[in-house]
Amino acid sequence: MYGRSQSRSTGLFLTLCASMLLLAMVTEQTWAAGARGALKSYLAPVEAVMTQLAGNVDRVTAVFGDVSTLRAENQRLTAADQALRRQVVELNAAAKENATLRQALDFERSYGHRMVAAQIVGRGPDGFSRTLEVDRGTADGVKPGMIVTTGAGLVGRVQEAGPHGAIVQTLADPQSRVNVFLSTSGLQGTVTGGPAALQLEIDHSIGVTATSGEWALTSGVGGGYPRGLVVGELASVTHRDSSTSDQALVAWVNDPAAISLVLVITDFAPS
Amino acid sequence: MKRLGIVALLLATVLVQVTWAPRLTVAGAFPNLALVAVIAITWTAGVRYGMAWAVVAGLMLDLTSDGPLGPHALALLAGAYLTGFWARNLDRDSLLHPVIAAAASTAAYSSVLVFADDVLGLPVPPLGIAMQLVVAASLYNAALMPVALAMMHKLHSPAARRPKPV
Repeated sequence: MYGRSQSRSTGLFLTLCASMLLLAMVTEQTWAAGARGALKSYLAPVEAVMTQLAGNVDRVTAVFGDVSTLRAENQRLTAADQALRRQVVELNAAAKENATLRQALDFERSYGHRMVAAQIVGRGPDGFSRTLEVDRGTADGVKPGMIVTTGAGLVGRVQEAGPHGAIVQTLADPQSRVNVFLSTSGLQGTVTGGPAALQLEIDHSIGVTATSGEWALTSGVGGGYPRGLVVGELASVTHRDSSTSDQALVAWVNDPAAISLVLVITDFAPS
Repeated sequence: MKRLGIVALLLATVLVQVTWAPRLTVAGAFPNLALVAVIAITWTAGVRYGMAWAVVAGLMLDLTSDGPLGPHALALLAGAYLTGFWARNLDRDSLLHPVIAAAASTAAYSSVLVFADDVLGLPVPPLGIAMQLVVAASLYNAALMPVALAMMHKLHSPAARRPKPV
């Protein structure tokens, strides 16, 4: 009796596994992509409500913790403010020089991009694929491959799009790869996703080494991303003479758990 | 009516997982509430019941992630089947067993998910990162298991009173 029940369960398990594999193979086909995207879009409004609810609860609970941390945060911000004022003065001077040089070279490249603002309504269900779900889709001009940013910097790329929703692969996704250059040393490298922090592999260059605090920006190499989007700040650098590259950890400018609004660049076509 | 209630509960669990749970990330992993719920259902109501709900919850997860429909359902099925096997062969009243079963089922779930993605030609994470995520997620889900089990016992008390769940 017991053995028969176990074999019935195993039979059901194998049947369901086969059905799910078949479903996966069918829905993976390109002709099914539209229907799949449409189906996923139906859940987006419900997720939007839940995300809003989660945000409201976060705001309420955050009040208790905020009071005790605000004082320390205030001191830290005052110090940061002084440093930033100095940087603004330096950057203003650099910008004037930069503008003159651009004019002289008749530099006509435009940095303006057409963008669509989208609200984040959900996040990937597990740690293997760090994705975000947004409430804008093909009906709003959002297509797979488009670049997603915030005011702070690069977020990722649209992976899949339905009529009223899209799934964005973030930089934290283990499969994500972005070519970058460093703001001070000018060294080039590749940022990959990771469970805790973004990893950067920096190519060696004679006489130049990367240092903590440098900014990593998209280099445009490979044509996957436009040049100049901020990725993050180098938190730590591990230099090895015996290796052809250095390893670094990058503090991403975007906190995927905290972003609620993103911008989809609709006029950049990755090559 | 009761089934509709469980569907609503699973939908709520999946929605909480894709909206709230990522805010609770520790060592790159966050709780997989759908998996924990399926393990708790399997432990209290039996393996066939658990597998049925694994398919429902898995398809809901597939609707919130990139890629085709099916891999999450397949992974949850593996978790439910392993839990059912565990529950059938070991002491069901012990609290330690469901906790260990949750950790083992999370490992099975993750392995099947990565394997299914690989078979379907979808990108998979590097082995080192995958291992790190699996260990962290297993510990996380195991820690949540007693709470989930207590809730499931309350919600599912008529089924829990059945003499021999299959």
